[in-house]
Amino acid sequence: MFIRLVKFAWKIIWRNFRRTVITGLAVGLGLGSLLFTDALMQGMSAHMINATTESWMGDAQIHRDGFLDTRNINLVIKRPDSTLSMLEQDSTVSFYTPRILSPASATSTTELKPVTLIGVDIETDPEVTMLKTAINSGYYLSGDSTELIIGYKLADDLNAGLGDVIVITVAQAGSGLSSGMFFVSGICRFGSDDLDRYSAFINLSAAGRLLGIPGEIHEIAVRFPQAEMGADTSLGFWHRFSVFGNTALGWPELAPQVGSMLSMIDISMTIMAAILFGLVVFGIVNSLFMSVFERMYEFGVMKAVGTRTGTISIMVILEAFWIAVISTVIGCAIGLLIIWITTRTGISFGEIEVTGIIFDKPLYPVLKLSRLWLYPLFTLILTTAAGIYPGIHAGRLNPAEAMRKSL
Amino acid sequence: MTDKDVIVAEGVVKTYDDSGVPVHAVRGIDYTLSKGEFTAIIGPSGSGKTTFLNVLAGLDTPTEGKVWLSGKLISDMSGRELSDFRRDHIGFIFQAYNLFPVLTVEENVEYVMLLQGVPPEERHERVLSILEKVGIAEYAGRLPMQLSGGQQQRVAVARAMVSRPSLVIADEPTANLDSKTSGALLDMMRQLNEDTGMTFLFSTHDEIVMRRARKIVIIRDGKIDGKASSEEIQ
Repeated sequence: MFIRLVKFAWKIIWRNFRRTVITGLAVGLGLGSLLFTDALMQGMSAHMINATTESWMGDAQIHRDGFLDTRNINLVIKRPDSTLSMLEQDSTVSFYTPRILSPASATSTTELKPVTLIGVDIETDPEVTMLKTAINSGYYLSGDSTELIIGYKLADDLNAGLGDVIVITVAQAGSGLSSGMFFVSGICRFGSDDLDRYSAFINLSAAGRLLGIPGEIHEIAVRFPQAEMGADTSLGFWHRFSVFGNTALGWPELAPQVGSMLSMIDISMTIMAAILFGLVVFGIVNSLFMSVFERMYEFGVMKAVGTRTGTISIMVILEAFWIAVISTVIGCAIGLLIIWITTRTGISFGEIEVTGIIFDKPLYPVLKLSRLWLYPLFTLILTTAAGIYPGIHAGRLNPAEAMRKSL
Repeated sequence: MTDKDVIVAEGVVKTYDDSGVPVHAVRGIDYTLSKGEFTAIIGPSGSGKTTFLNVLAGLDTPTEGKVWLSGKLISDMSGRELSDFRRDHIGFIFQAYNLFPVLTVEENVEYVMLLQGVPPEERHERVLSILEKVGIAEYAGRLPMQLSGGQQQRVAVARAMVSRPSLVIADEPTANLDSKTSGALLDMMRQLNEDTGMTFLFSTHDEIVMRRARKIVIIRDGKIDGKASSEEIQ
C-alpha cells in the first residue's frame, strides 16, 4: 500500500506541472544559493586563514611566557636549541623558523617611521612564510648583514626605494639605543597592512647583534601539514612545546580577530540558512495548501470510499517529499554549477580589507563535502515536514463537507 | 430491524449552521431499505436528498436520530470506524464520476481493494471481471480523461461494486450524461442488481432513472413526502 501511495503521490505532483516546477525551482534556487554562499564564505575563510598563517604567522608560534603581552625584548625563548631540536623531531611539525622581533624606528633621508624589526632565518623562513615570494622588486635576503626588506607601503611612507639607506634604531636588551645602517634590498607586498607598512626584515644574526642578544630568539613560527591543526586544541603539540617557560599557541589565539571573523561568518551562514529554510517551509506549505484546496472534492471522494485520515495525510506528505526530492536535485545542480563556474573564474571584490587582510585577488569558493549532504538533507527533511500541516488538514476533512464545498 | 434490512433510519434530523443561521436539511425521517432493492430518492433541488444520502452512507453524522447499516449502528461510530465500515460495506457513485485522474481505469477500480488489503492477484482478477461486466475491459490501461462521460461513469460503477459492498449509493449518477447514455448506464446497473442481488439507492431528478427504479421515495422539505413504485409514478 505504501509503495502505491508513493507512486500515487509522484503522479499527483505532475498534475499541475507548472506549479511543481515553479515550487521546485523556488526551493532549488534557495538551496543552490545557500550552497554557493556557503562555498564562497568557506573560500573567504580559507583566504583569511591562509593570508594569516601562510603569509607570515605560521599555523602556530612558540614564545617565552609573557612576550606576546609585553613585547619585551628581554623575554627570549628559553632553551632555544632544545626547543628547535624537539621541533626537528616532532612528527606533527612540517616546518619551523626562528625569529627575532623588536620595536624599532626606521629613518630614511626624509622620514622616520615606527616599525617592527624582524630578524629572519633565511634558511628556514621560505618554508614557513611568503616573504620570499612576496618580494615585488629587488631580492630576498642573502645573508649580508646590511640587507633590508620593507613593505611597499613603508617604502612609500619613507620615500625610499631599492638601494636607499635606512637607519634602524632599537632599544638594546641591556640598556641604551643601538642603530644600524641598512640598504633596501627588496620591497615586498603581502596584502596586509601590518607587514606592508609596519615591518622591516633583516637577517636573523644581524638582528641579534643589533639588539645585543646574539644566539637568542623571540619567536618560532611553525607550520603543520594542515592549517586546521593550528585550531585543534586536542593536539599534543601544545603540551609538548609549552615547556621551559615557553608557550605554544595556535593561529586562532595569535590572531583572535580572524577567529572572531570566522565565527561571525559561521553565525551569518546559520542565520541565512534558517531564513532560507523558513521561506522554503512557508513556500511549500502554501503550495500544498493550494493543491489541497483544489482537490477538496477528490479528498472527499477518497474519504467516502474508505481512505483513512492517516493514509490521506501520508499521501500529502509524500507529495511534499517528492517536491523536496525534485527541489534538492535542482538546488544541488544549480549550486554545483555556479560553484564549478566560479572556482574557475574566481570572484573579484576589488581591493577590500577585512580585519587587516586585503582581498586583492579573486576569491574562489571552497565546497566542503559535509555541506553537500547537510544542506540537501535539511532541505529534504524540512520540505517533507512542511507537508505535515496540509496533510493533517486534508486528512481531517469531513467527506460530505469537502464534496459540498467544492461543488 | 430484520435480516433483510440493509438500512434502517430512525428519526434522522440534520441541521447545518450556515453563518449562524440554522438550515434544517433533514427534518426527522424514518426509513428502511431492504436487501436487493433498486430504489431512487427523488425530490426538487434543496429538498435534502443528498444530505439524507450522506447521513445514510455515514459520510455525515445526523444531528438527531440513528442509522443502522447492515445491522450496525453507524451514527455513533468514530471517524476511523466509519471509514473502515464505508470501505467494506458501501460503494459510491458520484454525479461528476470523480475518478482519480492520475490513475488508470484499472488502478481506479482496484483502489478500494487496495485499502482493504486484497492480494494483488485477486485484485487484478476482480478488476478485469467487473470491467467486463460494465463493458469497458478494453480501456483498463487508459486514464479517465481518455474516456467519454458514459465510460467514466461505468468505471465509477465498477469501482463502487468491485469490493462487493452490501449497498451501492449513487448521488445523481446521470446528472452529467445525455439521455441515451443515462438509459444505457441505468440498464446496466439494474442488470447488475438483478445478477448480484446488490442493493442500490440513488438520488435523482432524472426521469430516466425514475422509470428504471423499482421503488421511489419522494423527499420534500427534508421529509419523506411519499413512496411509490416507478409504475405508479409514471
